[in-house]
Amino acid sequence: MMRRIPLLTATILCGLGAVSLVTDDAAFAQTPPSESAPGPGNATTGRDSEKSSDKFAAPSPDAPQAPGVNAANIPDGPPAEPGEATPAVEQVTGNPVHDDWPAYGRDTSATRYSPLDQITPENVGRLKRAFVYHTGSKPAPGQLNKWAAETTPIKVGDGLYTCSAMDDIIKLDPGTGKEIWRHNSGVKYDSIPYTAACKGVVYYTSSTVPEGQPCHNRILAATLDMRLIQVDAADGRLCEGFGYHGQVNLMKGMGESVPGFVSVTAPPPIVNGAIVVNHEVLDGQRRWAPSGVIRGYDAETGRFLWAWDVNRPDQHGEPQPGEHYSRGTPNSWATMTGDNELGLVYVPTGNSAADYYSALRSPEENRVSSSVVAIDVKTGSPRWVFQTVHKDVWDYDIGSQPTLLDFPGKDGPIPALIMPTKRGQTFVLDRRDGKPILPVEERPAPTATDVPNDPRSPTQPWSPGMPRLGVPELKETDMWGMSPIDQLYCRLKYRRAKYQGEFTAPEISRPWLEYPGYNGGSDWGSMAYDPKAGVLIANWNITPMYDQLVTRKKADELGLMPVDDPHFSPSGGGAEGAGAMADTPYGIVVSPFWNEFTHMMCNKPPYGMITAIDIHTQKVLWQHPLGSARANGPWGLPTHLPLTIGTPNNGGPVITAGGVIFVAATTDNLIHAFDAKTGKELWSDVLPGGGQATPMTYEYNGKQYVAIMAGGHHFMMTPVSDALVVYALPDGG
Amino acid sequence: MASIHKPQSAAEWATVLVAVLLVLLGLPLLIMGAQLAMIGGSFYYVLFGAALIAAGGLMLTGSVNGALLYLVAWALTWPWAFWEVGLDGWGLLPRLFGPTLVAIAVALTVPVLRRIGGTTISSGRSMA
Repeated sequence: MMRRIPLLTATILCGLGAVSLVTDDAAFAQTPPSESAPGPGNATTGRDSEKSSDKFAAPSPDAPQAPGVNAANIPDGPPAEPGEATPAVEQVTGNPVHDDWPAYGRDTSATRYSPLDQITPENVGRLKRAFVYHTGSKPAPGQLNKWAAETTPIKVGDGLYTCSAMDDIIKLDPGTGKEIWRHNSGVKYDSIPYTAACKGVVYYTSSTVPEGQPCHNRILAATLDMRLIQVDAADGRLCEGFGYHGQVNLMKGMGESVPGFVSVTAPPPIVNGAIVVNHEVLDGQRRWAPSGVIRGYDAETGRFLWAWDVNRPDQHGEPQPGEHYSRGTPNSWATMTGDNELGLVYVPTGNSAADYYSALRSPEENRVSSSVVAIDVKTGSPRWVFQTVHKDVWDYDIGSQPTLLDFPGKDGPIPALIMPTKRGQTFVLDRRDGKPILPVEERPAPTATDVPNDPRSPTQPWSPGMPRLGVPELKETDMWGMSPIDQLYCRLKYRRAKYQGEFTAPEISRPWLEYPGYNGGSDWGSMAYDPKAGVLIANWNITPMYDQLVTRKKADELGLMPVDDPHFSPSGGGAEGAGAMADTPYGIVVSPFWNEFTHMMCNKPPYGMITAIDIHTQKVLWQHPLGSARANGPWGLPTHLPLTIGTPNNGGPVITAGGVIFVAATTDNLIHAFDAKTGKELWSDVLPGGGQATPMTYEYNGKQYVAIMAGGHHFMMTPVSDALVVYALPDGG
Repeated sequence: MASIHKPQSAAEWATVLVAVLLVLLGLPLLIMGAQLAMIGGSFYYVLFGAALIAAGGLMLTGSVNGALLYLVAWALTWPWAFWEVGLDGWGLLPRLFGPTLVAIAVALTVPVLRRIGGTTISSGRSMA
């Protein structure tokens, strides 16, 4: 404390003149501002083995599900045996018509590439708002803000389909934004996990219901409270023939849980008639958290098809009464990509539960965590696995959706998959067998750690064939600030932490520095790929974290409890901040690598970048910082400066045949347009909230529109709004 | 040591203010800078902090050497900053911007200090 007062005073004194000029990114607040690592020697108190008080005792995983966990009280029936999907007809997502954007990533390959060319580098500067639609989903007064809608609408024919942050399903007129219908999904506040997000809905054409009958074309949504819902695309009414009166209970077989522990936030792909469902399991809660099981359901009927359950690899049916899917297994929360041709779904996996401690994981889990797993959609068995981090204890789980492409090989195109990672390593794999197309090297990784009995992998995979979306290892001289004083504070922080590069092993006795952090590199925004030009667009982050393991006793002192503890308070610890990691010997404190007083990052800018890569040569075409300092500054004060500093960003890019790239994502609350050839910024507009979502573009009645959900992001500290903003060129212009 | 000079005009009060500011800025630099140097980090900050405190102290006694000491430390900061980060603008900002603002304030005190104690100008031994 002694040190802090003169520091604060002096920083303010020295910063006074600088505030108006100096810029940084305070909006990069991943965690509550009070969070900081306990520091050297402060992680341990008392004897490590000391028992937790009853207040922290675990509920039995076999306990029956509490009221409210099965959100719609859907009767479950007996456990289902594995089955096969009703044969499907060809879907609009396979080969989208020119005007449409029928899937989250536009097409089944998730290219985020549109053939529209009305908006060009020459006229993009004249874009005006065509309409703004308000979804109505935002925090009520007094509610803790957990909002970040992250939504990308889809457009098929005469409908712009979207979801609110709380999963209401909505059809809009694509030309006017007028609401045509709305299905109220009834998701409750308690069911919000880390974030109220709905990345998108799914369009499905029935193979059994003839055209003109109800539910021939359907909209599928998966909810925060673990339901699948299907409604008629024409009128928004529930499809009675799907599941139980239009809904499927995804909590079936999950065992003990509480609302908000497990949730679906990504649109489930439909592959050869099978809806493939993954779900997020709240990070950092307990080792024996609910399962990360991946399941298939029949798109026609909602009937259970199969499960891929990591620690029950040979059982593809639903668990018997009194049993449940294997707990604590790696969860997948990213958007998956389906492959109708090969009959596979590509599942980007995360980590086993209790992200920062690996001693309690099974060999089966260690084989498939932080990996791409290709699952056969007929059987639920994995056909291949490619791992991007061995024994991950850094939360380098995969957030991005894989993008499919024909990779230009020597003997013709190779069916390939691009897997961006939080590490900034981009892996290019043959999607038939998961073998790397570009070389992958196993390089030595540091293994020194003071965590007993939890050895690290001696090597980790690197993809030197693709440009690294990251900066070299941090040095003391990279530390930053407004003045020599706050810079010195960060240099001290740097020197006091353990840091041996990207794979610095977790530590109990002192903080460790983690770069890249859990925001990436590449996160859920994923990449865009122009298959004609062979150009890949990626926006990414440079946001290190400052972490420390704490003993159970210390974790109890800090009040860290898992979400299913009856004493849990929603403001007491978040999924991405400090976590109890109950059932393990340690808790975890995760904080941004920042100056706690000024809320400025400790490393120098930029904090966010955008890069164009030529897939033929795997060379960078252009690259520059992404995002301005206008809405960010010390103590969270906006500087109003149009300086491109490069801010943290969440949300992906879109590339169009017109030669324009659209990306919002940044914490300056702008939507940006760039020239695809040069990377030059052509246009930007201030959004009513943070643009932490991927934009989309469509044509309707001969006019090209660009839509962005300006939902904001609680953890990026950008303003929340419920506004879907849609742009077009003015008539006659 | 000379005793603290009693300010007699607005300009002299302003000079005292700058001197106090130097000491206040110097303290955290000295303390944290010493900690940093002890764990293998840069020695610049402890030296710069010591220079600031000495400069502020001297200025409080009415000595123009204090102001000159700061200006020397500030001038030496430039080559150090370029040595650490080269021509990286963002990197130079924390190293040079604040100290330069302070240098302008200190430079403005030089005529005042000369008036107060013109006799004390000596060879100006720098602590930095």
